[in-house]
Amino acid sequence: MFKGSAMRLLLVFFFVFCMPSMTHAIDGTAILKKVDANLQPESFESYRKLVNIEPSGAKREFLLYTLKKGNDKIVSLFLSPASEKGRATLRLGDNMWLYIPNVGKPVRITSLQSVVGGVFNNADIMRLDYNVEYNVQNVEDGKTEYVLDLRAKTTSVAYDKLKMWVDKKAVIPTKIECYAATGLLIKTLYFKEIKSFEAVQRPSVIETDSPLYKGYQSLMAYANVKKRVVADEVFTLEFLSKVETVR
Amino acid sequence: MLIVLTLLVFLSVLPPTREIFSQEQPPAESKYQIDLSELQKEVDKVAAKPYNLGGFLEFQPTLFGIDRDSAVSRARFFRNPQDSLFDQYNFRLRLNGSFKKDWFSAFFKTDTLVRNDFDGWDEDTKLFEAYVSAKPSDNFIFEAGKKAMKWGKGYAWNPVSFIAPPKNPEDPEEALEGTTVATADYVQSFDGPLKTLTLTTALIPVYEYVNAKFGEPRRVNFASKLYLLLYDTDIDLMVLTGSSRTTRYGFDFSKNLTTNLEIHGEFAVVNNLDKMAINASGQGFRTQSDALSQLIGLRYLSERETTYILEYYHNGAGYSRSQIKDFISFVDRSYQTFQTTGDDSGLVRASALLDGPYGQPNVGRHYLYFRASQKEAFDILYFTPAVTSIMNLTDGSLTVIPELAYSPMTNLELRFRTPVLLGKDGTEYGEKQNDYRIELRLRYHFGF
Repeated sequence: MFKGSAMRLLLVFFFVFCMPSMTHAIDGTAILKKVDANLQPESFESYRKLVNIEPSGAKREFLLYTLKKGNDKIVSLFLSPASEKGRATLRLGDNMWLYIPNVGKPVRITSLQSVVGGVFNNADIMRLDYNVEYNVQNVEDGKTEYVLDLRAKTTSVAYDKLKMWVDKKAVIPTKIECYAATGLLIKTLYFKEIKSFEAVQRPSVIETDSPLYKGYQSLMAYANVKKRVVADEVFTLEFLSKVETVR
Repeated sequence: MLIVLTLLVFLSVLPPTREIFSQEQPPAESKYQIDLSELQKEVDKVAAKPYNLGGFLEFQPTLFGIDRDSAVSRARFFRNPQDSLFDQYNFRLRLNGSFKKDWFSAFFKTDTLVRNDFDGWDEDTKLFEAYVSAKPSDNFIFEAGKKAMKWGKGYAWNPVSFIAPPKNPEDPEEALEGTTVATADYVQSFDGPLKTLTLTTALIPVYEYVNAKFGEPRRVNFASKLYLLLYDTDIDLMVLTGSSRTTRYGFDFSKNLTTNLEIHGEFAVVNNLDKMAINASGQGFRTQSDALSQLIGLRYLSERETTYILEYYHNGAGYSRSQIKDFISFVDRSYQTFQTTGDDSGLVRASALLDGPYGQPNVGRHYLYFRASQKEAFDILYFTPAVTSIMNLTDGSLTVIPELAYSPMTNLELRFRTPVLLGKDGTEYGEKQNDYRIELRLRYHFGF
C-alpha cells in the first residue's frame, strides 16, 4: 500500500518537474543542421568576392567560382585578378590541394594556409557544413539568439572550438568566434546583409577580423548561389585544371 | 646602374615602417562596404564569357658576380673573357588563352624572351602549350597537342617526371615547355577508403620536328599513370616505354600527417640508362645500367605561418664525385692547353658537354633542399621573405638564396634574390660560373 503510493508520488513528481523541461530541451545539433541548411544547399554553385582591406584603407579583391557537392566535396576557381586567375583549390574531406597554372600540377596544401593572404584562410574559403566538422557541446538560450559552443570532431579541423551566435527567428548565424586548441581567439566572423538567392535566403556578406591581424579586415560577398549537382569526377585532381569548363 | 635603380623602385613600393608596425584598428568610419549590385554585374559579365586571354610582362635585370677561375666560366667564356661582373636584362612576354564550348575546350600558352647582355640582343619565342580537350562524359577526357605533363610530388626535383623536361630547382614553380602528346584520362570517384582513381595514358611521338629532344626519332612512345586517392593518401604509379628512351617505372605519394605537416616521396627506376662520362684526359666512355632515384620530403607550416620545405634527393642518374672531378680536371687541362698553344678543341668540347649531360641543374648524386618562407612578415600583406638552400651532400658545396617577394598592388609582383654559391675548388657549386647573382624580377599580370 505504502509502496504503491510512493510509486504514484514519484510518477507525479516526474511528470510535474521533468516533462516540461524535456519538452523545452534545446537540440543543439538540430539547430546546427538547420543553420547549415539555411546557409547553403547541400550541392550548389556560387560566385564570391573576397576583399582584403589593409590598415591604410588599401584593398585587394578576388573573384571566385565555387562548386560544392554533398558533405565533403568543394572546389573553388579564381577568376580575377589576372595574377590569380586559374588558381583552383580542391577539398575532399580533410584533403586539400592547390593548382597554380604556372606550376602545372596540383600540390597538397593544409587547411591553415591562406591562398590569397589576409584574414581568411583555406578552411574559411573551402568550408564544409559546420555539422560535418563540429559537435555541439553546449547551447545557451538567449532572448533573440542561441549561443552554440562547438568542438571540432577531429584534430584535422582548422579551428578547435567555435562560439556561434544564431538568430532564433531566421536560424542563421550572426557571429562566430574561432578558437585554437590553446583557447586563443584566431578570428571573428560577422554575418550580414541577408539576401534571397535562388537556392537560399542567407547573409550575403561575411566580414572577419582577427587579433592576429590587427587593423586588417577581410570580407566575403556572395552572388548567384544556385542549387547545382555535378558529377563526383569534377572533384578530382585531374579536373582541377579544367574547372573553368564546367562553369 | 639599372640594377640599383630597380632595387630602389622595389624599396620605394614597400609600405613605410610606421604602417608595417601599425597595430591600430582602422577607425570605424573607414570600414569598407561592398556594393552587391556591382558584384552582381561583374559576375553576370564573367559568367557569360566563353574565352580567356591573359598573361604577364616581365622585366628581370640580373647582375652576375663571375668566378673567373671556375671550370664553367673557363669553358663558357674562354673566347671572350668577362670582367668579374656583368649585367643581363631579360624581357619576357607570356601569353595564355582558353576557349570553351560545351564539352570541347582549347588552350594555348606562348613564351617570348628578349635578352640583352655582353653578347648583344637575343630573342626566343616558344609555344609552351597548345592543345584541345574533349570531355564526352563525366569519366573520360581526351586531349591532343602540346601540353606540360608534370608528374611527381617533389617540390625541387621530380625523378618520376618521365615526360616533362627537368625543372630548375632554384625556381621550381616556373612553367616548362610542354610535350606534344595525345592523352586519354579515365576518372572515377568512389565512396570508401578509395576516393578517386584516374588512369592516364599518353602517346608521345618523336620526329624531326616533334619532340625532337625527347630521344630517338621516328618512334612513338607510350606512357601511363595510375592515380589513387587511397586512405587520404595520393598515390601514383607510372611507366614510360618505347624506343626513344629506355623503359622507366615510378611511384610517388603524398599525405597530410596533420593539418600543418605533409610528407611526400618519389621512387623511379630507369632501365639500362645510357650514360656518357669523360675522364680527366677527355676520353669519353659510355655505360649502361639501371638507375634508381629517390626523393623524400616534408612540408611544415608553423603557428607563425612559416612554411618549411625539406627534401632529400638521390639522383641515380647523376655523376659520382670522381666523375665530376674528372670533368673539372679536363676543363682545367684544356684551359691550360688553350693558353699555351691556342688549341681550343678541349674547351669547345667541354662547352658542348655543359650544354648536354654535364649542364643539367644538379648533376651529382645526393642533394638536400631546404626552404623557409614567412607569409606576411612584419604584418605586411603580400610580402614573403624566404631563404632557400640546395646542398650537394657528396662534396659539401651549396647555394644559398635569400629572397624577398612582394606584391605592392593588384597584378604586380616583385621578387628580389641574391643567390650565393659556396664551395671549394673541385666541387659542384665551387666550379659554377658565378660566385653570386643579384636579380630583380618585376612581373605584371594582365587579362581580358
